[in-house]
Amino acid sequence: MKQYWSILKSILMYFLLTGATILMSFPLFWMISSSLKTLEETNSPGIIWIPKQITWDAYLSIFQNQNFLRSYFNSVFFVTFALAGTLISIAVVSYAFSRVDWPGKNFVFFLMLSTMMIPPQALIVPQYVFFNKLNWIGTFNPIIIPGYFAGGAAMIFLLRQSMAQIPKEMDESAFIDGANHIQIWWEIVMPLIKAPIATVATFLFVGFWNSLLTPLMYLQTVDLYTLPVYVSTLYNINNTVQQWPTIMSAAVLTTVPLIVVFFFTQRFILESVVISGLKG
Amino acid sequence: MLKNPYLDLILTAGLTVIFIIAACFGLGMLAKWISKKRGRSPVYQESAFAGYFFAAPWIVGFIIFIIIPLTFSFYWSFTDYRVTARDPANWLGLENYITLLTKDEGFRASIINTLYLTVIGLPLQMGVALFLAVLLNRKIRGERIFRMGFYLPVILGFNTAVLLCWRLMLNTGTGIINQIIRAITNAFPLLGYVNRGIIYIQEIITAFFLGLSSGKFNLLNKVIEAGFPAANRVPLWVQSPLWSKMSVILLMIWGCGAMMLIFLAGLNNVPKELHESAEVDGASQWQRFWKISFPLLTPYVFYNLVVGLINSLQIFEPIFVLYRDNQPLVSSTISMVYYLWQKSFSHFEIGYGSAISWVILVIILVITLVQFRLQKRWVNYDLY
Repeated sequence: MKQYWSILKSILMYFLLTGATILMSFPLFWMISSSLKTLEETNSPGIIWIPKQITWDAYLSIFQNQNFLRSYFNSVFFVTFALAGTLISIAVVSYAFSRVDWPGKNFVFFLMLSTMMIPPQALIVPQYVFFNKLNWIGTFNPIIIPGYFAGGAAMIFLLRQSMAQIPKEMDESAFIDGANHIQIWWEIVMPLIKAPIATVATFLFVGFWNSLLTPLMYLQTVDLYTLPVYVSTLYNINNTVQQWPTIMSAAVLTTVPLIVVFFFTQRFILESVVISGLKG
Repeated sequence: MLKNPYLDLILTAGLTVIFIIAACFGLGMLAKWISKKRGRSPVYQESAFAGYFFAAPWIVGFIIFIIIPLTFSFYWSFTDYRVTARDPANWLGLENYITLLTKDEGFRASIINTLYLTVIGLPLQMGVALFLAVLLNRKIRGERIFRMGFYLPVILGFNTAVLLCWRLMLNTGTGIINQIIRAITNAFPLLGYVNRGIIYIQEIITAFFLGLSSGKFNLLNKVIEAGFPAANRVPLWVQSPLWSKMSVILLMIWGCGAMMLIFLAGLNNVPKELHESAEVDGASQWQRFWKISFPLLTPYVFYNLVVGLINSLQIFEPIFVLYRDNQPLVSSTISMVYYLWQKSFSHFEIGYGSAISWVILVIILVITLVQFRLQKRWVNYDLY
């Protein structure tokens, strides 16, 4: 009797888990399915799971849309430069917080952690004025350059935790061999924390790729729009008919890089969230 | 500045890197010099140099992008400064704050909307996250796929593209979600009553909150007068002020994967022996969860609560993408950050915007501090 009960229970569990997974990924499926429909099908009153006649018209039209292609290029450009600078500076700063003992370290570390409580939006108004004075409005600078100063306390914390786990003896023997801190950072510490670096890089990538508020504020002209900003203009409440297939094809193309990156780094992410989460 | 925005950025980035390296050396030298003056050992001097050299990017960035802006915005919040105005700003004293806290109906609405998201959305989000974590917390085949499936929404998160897909799915008439609800309620009349009951309760609660923000409870009376929803009623999602916030909550629940991972880590840390001995004593699974796992899980609940609160207080993208330009709906769903954005950048009232930022900052700080204070009452750190 007990055996039947446990089998029944595991069936029920799989049923629940599969159901939840389907629900969670449903928007993605619906996005793809809608992008392959005609306009009439997206607005039809009946449920069309998969269109009978797949049409690629939406993709043809979005690929002819110069502004979309340009915003795609802008997004790739923005993310590449922002990611490179932010990642390297975060790796540099976490070295200071984990491998070197210096006067004032604990105080600065505490300051850094407390910045996590400051909502970034509380800073956007004065920062806007500051960038306006620099004549940076309408350029990529305001959305990329701040990251070069190790933006992102949570990410520094995550990398610091992993760097602190490397045994100290490794540095000490390298010191005796005459290596300096920069060599130790680049040649000994960095190669040992590839997985956390991949995790931080993914989080940063996702954050930059999805970011809407700052690009919206600073990029002003269609020529400079990144994908989230441009895609948001495709949906216009004043239109009586929304071009859903076109919007959804743009949406699919926007999410593809996210899914590819997540697919390759998920094994690092799903474990490291746990490391960084609490064990401080 | 250069005409080409791409070259401009590359040039600025190069200059920034040079500036940062210079700052690293400068700060490092300074630290070394100071420790030398204090007569410290050469080893001490070296590590002072190295420490400040490596920490310099953050320290400089902290001063430029956090300390200075906060100081300026604190000053501006007492003035009527505007970016577009040529003439210098006038000192207003506390006027901005007084207007904001006593007269500004938009701000009051935004606080109450945010309160709604926090009081109703956050527990739902955490509940679903905990439920999924408990389901996943055992050795089962394909666990990784389930985890990926639950975490994927966090990655897609609030990307505009994904939000627009939700906009399509949430259409009242032809959206897939309502189509499915209709199909289910037609097939199982009993679930139809459940559906109508949920709609009724949801609309009463939301109408009450809308009443709080406008000061008039007409809508609440109307909802109650209309009585139990008709058989063919479906949720109105992105088309009615009564549902606009619920749509945002739906998105929050969808993105509960990050919280789920944290809970999962917590459940992994619960010692197996405790469960085994309780099982010998004849405790049921339900009892074991609430008496053993949950108390040990409270630090994780606390962490999720703190982070979740900060996140829900800062919500912006869903409201921008779903309701922008939709005047009647914006006011029913506007969040504090959205209001800040609207005031500062559609009207360029920097002084007033600064006052809003400071009020938001203080609200977040107070809430976080209160949580840290209250945690002693219910968070259990026995394991750590």
